[in-house]
Amino acid sequence: MPLKILLVEDNEMNRDMLTRRLERRGYQVVVAHDGGQGHDLAHSESPDLILMDMSLPVMNGWEVTRLLKADRQTSHIPIIALTAHALATDRAKAFEAGCDDYDTKPVDFNRLQEKINGLILEKKPS
Amino acid sequence: MNLQNLSIKGKLLMITMITSSVALVLLAASYLVYDLLSFRHFLSEDLSTQAEIIGYNSAAAMAFKDESAASVTLSALKAKEDVTAAVLYTPDGKIFAKYVRANIVAPSLPADVPQTNGSRFKGSYLEVFRDVSLNGEPLGTLFLQSDMSQWSSRAKSYATFLLMFMLASSFLALLLASRLQTLISRPILRLEDTMRAVSAKKNYEVRALKFYDDEIGRLIDGFNTMLAEIQQQDMALQGANDELQMRTQELEGEITHRKQAQEELLTAKRAAEDASRAKSAFLANMSHELRTPLNAIIGYSEMIEEEIQDSGQINDIQDVQKIEAAGKHLLALINDVLDLSKIEAGKMSLHLETFEVALMIRDMASTLEPAVAKNSNTLELQLPEDLGMMRSDVTKVRQILFNLLSNACKFTDHGTISMSVDRIETREQQWMRFRVADTGIGISDEQQENLFKEFAQADVSIARKYGGTGLGLAISHRFAQLMGGNIVVESEPGKGSVFTLHLPAQANAETTAAAPPKSKSTATTPAPEPKSQSETILVIDDDPAVRDLMTRFLVKLGFGVIAAVDGEEGFKLAKKTRPAIITLDVMMPEMDGWGVLSRLKSDPELASIPVIMVTIVDNEVAAIKLGASSYMVKPVDRDRLAGLVEQYRKGRGPVPEKVAAGPVHTSQGDSKPSMRWDPVSRRN
Repeated sequence: MPLKILLVEDNEMNRDMLTRRLERRGYQVVVAHDGGQGHDLAHSESPDLILMDMSLPVMNGWEVTRLLKADRQTSHIPIIALTAHALATDRAKAFEAGCDDYDTKPVDFNRLQEKINGLILEKKPS
Repeated sequence: MNLQNLSIKGKLLMITMITSSVALVLLAASYLVYDLLSFRHFLSEDLSTQAEIIGYNSAAAMAFKDESAASVTLSALKAKEDVTAAVLYTPDGKIFAKYVRANIVAPSLPADVPQTNGSRFKGSYLEVFRDVSLNGEPLGTLFLQSDMSQWSSRAKSYATFLLMFMLASSFLALLLASRLQTLISRPILRLEDTMRAVSAKKNYEVRALKFYDDEIGRLIDGFNTMLAEIQQQDMALQGANDELQMRTQELEGEITHRKQAQEELLTAKRAAEDASRAKSAFLANMSHELRTPLNAIIGYSEMIEEEIQDSGQINDIQDVQKIEAAGKHLLALINDVLDLSKIEAGKMSLHLETFEVALMIRDMASTLEPAVAKNSNTLELQLPEDLGMMRSDVTKVRQILFNLLSNACKFTDHGTISMSVDRIETREQQWMRFRVADTGIGISDEQQENLFKEFAQADVSIARKYGGTGLGLAISHRFAQLMGGNIVVESEPGKGSVFTLHLPAQANAETTAAAPPKSKSTATTPAPEPKSQSETILVIDDDPAVRDLMTRFLVKLGFGVIAAVDGEEGFKLAKKTRPAIITLDVMMPEMDGWGVLSRLKSDPELASIPVIMVTIVDNEVAAIKLGASSYMVKPVDRDRLAGLVEQYRKGRGPVPEKVAAGPVHTSQGDSKPSMRWDPVSRRN
């Protein structure tokens, strides 16, 4: 069974591009357009990992992350923050909110995939 | 009343009165004595004359033995009131005739009769003896006695008069003295008044009135001179005081002025800071806005490349690769601008880790192959075998070297680019020296001056020909400084350039103060003291899962991590590496966490390292007592751990008690929205 990734991203092009690339690499991708939807889908879809954009409408990525990490049902799901903010404070902010890892846009896809696999393996040792 | 404390007036009066009284009394007494003496003499003479007269008158009666006649003669003495008795003696001493004043009962008559004439004072009586003779024949002796009542009445009246006179003259003297003493006392009293007024009102302008040109006058003169001097000094003092006050006011004005200026400066500073923040925010936003479309460009091109490769339509791939390359170039430019703004805002931080230098160089060289090949250059690497490890921000080191090598490739055609690395030592510390030499177009002295300045390429034409923002070297230079090193350049136009990068082999979290070597240094000194591992954390835990998780998490936070599998190894590693922080599990085989903690705390070299106890047993009181800095209950709260290690990294760890009192790790059901990290459940 393919690994399920929840992609929370409001930019249509990036969402489309990342979805297609992830699917090409064999992941199952569920997409959310805003923070609220992302929060709901995290509960209903029980993904193996969440790729979370931080600048999101309705509810921003930091808030969603905080809520998910505080919730016993979702706190185990690894979250990788994806942000176009490349300042060091953004990185700290992401970890502070509870993200497990962090990457900047534009994503280096190979690096991102390494992080995804690393986190999923960490959570689900074979 | 003490005479010495009398007023001057009283003293003067007293002196005058005593002096004049003594003089008067002496004078009056001597006069009285003299007068009474001479009056007595007169009385004695007078009585002698009487006696002669009576003796003559009674001579005939005695010659004829006529007693009655003699008595008549003697009784003539009645007229003389002070004569008390008169006696005529015969030569054989018998009374011939006698007269006694009527009021005297028993007159004291002499027992014997002297044969010579004379007078004598006997008691209060004057007595005179006189020979009575007729024609030279002695007939007897006359005796006269006087009671000197005249003398005593005279003495009485005389004394009364003198007393009256003395009283009158004393009164007069008192009047005169009380008038005349003002000559002396008035100036003194006035002087005293003046002095009192001066001392009471502090008015140094008044002057004492001078009456006469005597000693007191001179005293007043002296006093006035003194007053004048005091007044002068007072005025000078007042002047100085006024000036002081003026200066104080001036100073206050100056201070107010300065404060205003300071406030203005502060305002300006705040405005500048606001502007700087606005600039940073703008750059961050711009960066965000630019990255989002770039993400799509690069992402789609990569995806299309993959799809083309899959479909076998290799001919179309070059165009897509161009789009991707352009996108990545644009990204690099954005990163450069962002880096520079971060450096300028002081927000660029170092993420130190230990890495193998040769490995990093070889890795980079393979990445650079296309760039080297582009201008038909060759890249030579000179890496000594014992190059070893280096502790620094590897991303930034790589970025600097990448920039230097790309530049070398860009400005060299059909030439050789050589890269050499060696380790050198100065007195203070060990350095890594990276040399990038090329045989390219070179840089003139003039161009070298602006080489490391932002937005300053050597020549405008270069930008057209070779491209680039001109930020690369500026950023590299700043990065090198940030890591405590520097970059120097040697070049000659047409012959090539040599860029030398010096970096401390063990970078510090804070920029190293020691000056990096400026030129080729071959000085070899004994290996310096190991640098304090301010960014290293020692994790002591027997559970490999916990070790692994802790390591990953702490590395992510930018720390170097050393892990130990048991207490013994943990203590040895602590001793060897002197980590900045130690996390310590309690439940371990062999030596448990408490044992390790007490060994750490009893070692003077290690006692100051903050120790965070990590355990499933809640016994934080014991932990704090034994010297632990903080105490965490598994599952570890990541936020709290991150907070703690950040605090200790900055060298201002919280007071243990305060940490212990924190509610963060009190129970599993804690409502704090933070991730619990439970290695036990993880292994399920």
